[in-house]
Amino acid sequence: MRIKSFIITSLILFILGILGVSLNRTNLILLLMSVELMLLAASFLFIIASSFFDILFGQIFTIIVLTVAAAESAIGLAIIVTYFRIRGKISIKLLNTLKG
Amino acid sequence: MYILIILLPLISSLVILLLGRNFGVRGSNHFSLLCLGIANLLSCFSYYETVILKSSIHINLFNWIPLNLFDASINFHVDSISGGMILIVNMVSFLVHLYSTSYMEGDPHSCRFMGYLSLFTFFMLVLVSSQNYVQLFIGWEGVGLCSYLLINYWFGRLQANKAAIKAMLVNRVGDAALIAGVMLIWYNYGTVNFHSIFPSNQNFASTLIPIFLLIGAVGKSAQFGLHTWLPDAMEGPTPVSALIHAATMVTAGVYLIIRSSSLFEASSIALIVTGLIGAITALFAATIGLAQNDIKKIIAYSTCSQLGFMVLACGISYYSVGLFHLINHAFFKALLFLGAGSVIHAMVDEQDIRKMGSTVLSLPLSSVFILIGSLALAGTPFMTGYYSKDLLLELSTKQYYLIIVCWLGLIATLLTAFYSFKLINRTFMLYQNSPKNWWTVAHEGKFNLLFPLFVLSMGSIFFGYFFKDPILGSVIHPNLSVLVKLTPLLLSGLGVLAGLFIFLITKNLWNLFFSFNIIKPYDFLVTAWGFDKIISTFLVSPLWKFGYKTSLKLFDLGIVETIGPFGLSKRVVLLTQNLSKLQPGYLFNYAIIMILFASIFILIN
Repeated sequence: MRIKSFIITSLILFILGILGVSLNRTNLILLLMSVELMLLAASFLFIIASSFFDILFGQIFTIIVLTVAAAESAIGLAIIVTYFRIRGKISIKLLNTLKG
Repeated sequence: MYILIILLPLISSLVILLLGRNFGVRGSNHFSLLCLGIANLLSCFSYYETVILKSSIHINLFNWIPLNLFDASINFHVDSISGGMILIVNMVSFLVHLYSTSYMEGDPHSCRFMGYLSLFTFFMLVLVSSQNYVQLFIGWEGVGLCSYLLINYWFGRLQANKAAIKAMLVNRVGDAALIAGVMLIWYNYGTVNFHSIFPSNQNFASTLIPIFLLIGAVGKSAQFGLHTWLPDAMEGPTPVSALIHAATMVTAGVYLIIRSSSLFEASSIALIVTGLIGAITALFAATIGLAQNDIKKIIAYSTCSQLGFMVLACGISYYSVGLFHLINHAFFKALLFLGAGSVIHAMVDEQDIRKMGSTVLSLPLSSVFILIGSLALAGTPFMTGYYSKDLLLELSTKQYYLIIVCWLGLIATLLTAFYSFKLINRTFMLYQNSPKNWWTVAHEGKFNLLFPLFVLSMGSIFFGYFFKDPILGSVIHPNLSVLVKLTPLLLSGLGVLAGLFIFLITKNLWNLFFSFNIIKPYDFLVTAWGFDKIISTFLVSPLWKFGYKTSLKLFDLGIVETIGPFGLSKRVVLLTQNLSKLQPGYLFNYAIIMILFASIFILIN
């Protein structure tokens, strides 16, 4: 297995996450999951790089990113739950009260 | 002491205009009469010294603009030219003040009136007692301003407002030319002092300068082209007309030409133009005077015509004759105006001569005074007008290159006598045409209304004979045949007869007269050759349209606003509004934009 296929896989994952964020128009949870996917793809890249170049920092970073992702998803879900309590819906289309 | 001549009218006007309400009408009348009376007396002394004894008074007051060559000092300089002017200005002004105390009796603002009259006199004295063109210009603009204030004295009347604005603006055309002339004088001769300017060589500027000065004089002296303000200036009270048209304002233009005689002599073209303009004005105004029916307008056009004679005299290089006619004219024209004012006053402010008639019975003194004024105006032998006007016409017969001037002047003489006596006939002699209650209450004015008329009629009779030698100096009377010498007199006599008999012709003759389709030339004359119409059609209304459409609509409100503040701010607001549409409130749009610009940033870097 070459490193190229690993990187391409993680990039595809990252792009899928981006597309999930930008094209998703319905569900707020889906958005949060796409962000998680992006973070995972990034940490995957870190791991690939650390094992390929034989440097430990990438794996340390991955663990930190995992904690950050966990915290982020916890806070994000908390916000969504609070939002749901107020509005009763979590559709992204209805999140347009702040206009430029 | 001589400085009081110029200061007393100023003191009088300032005190009356500032404190008139404390003095009351009687107090301010007496104060101004006292000031002007003393000034009048002093100016008689200065006349004796300067004109008869041929000395000159020079009092340097202060240096106004001390540039090294541009010596614009304010001074009181009286020589033989300005001595006569100062005499008539002060004398006519004093008599007009005296007359106004009776004429303006009962007017609520007569303190203001007296103040303006004194201020007018002051500015005229500043004009004539200057030694340089800059001080002359102060007086020049000052009399223009005071004429505005005085014509507009009854400011509640729309016609008076319009006439005053017209007077101011038409004068301003000439003033602009005068400024141009003075600037050219300074540029070419390096000085603005009358006594230091001696044009030595012929060049383009030496023709241009007198032409500019002539345009200035045309505006102020109501010559052909810029005369339209003068008949409209009759909207002011009658003493104002007497002051403006007899002694002061309109004579300033002729005085300027006489003062600048050395400049005019430098250019033959300017002299020919001056003579032609004078002669055309003399004839033009005399023809219009024939058809007018307003007693003041007839006299106003006669003023215009006589000023034409003065300019004509300057055009044929006889400046002293012009000055002499100027001074004589002041006497009989002031007499005519004040006499007309007396008639108007007695006839309950009626100015139309068609609604008068037979007033010789109720106003014998006024009719005698107007008769004296008209006889002097027509050049009756041994009265004042004879010594200047007939001499002027005799001298013009010798101008071979400008002989047309003589012909125009002779026709104008005929017409002058004609309309003067038409006025007398219609006002005083014919059947009575006014309402009966006016005619029965009509009576002569008080002493202070008649005394100025008496003094002026004495001046109209005797002044020319007694003072012809000191003013005229050594004018050589031309050697002419008796017939030519008598021509102006015969023409005047013809005019008098025509004026007296025009309303006495029989019914058959009237029918014959009207069968000639006389109405068209009469229309032409009664509308003053259609001058107002032509000017308003071809000059004023195109200029107004240009001002509204091009300067205001297209440029100020159009181009400048669009490029400038208004258009620019509108553009910026529009741009920011468009930019803020990039934030519609949808999260996915924000995400797309963020990702897009992040990827652009990565790609570029």
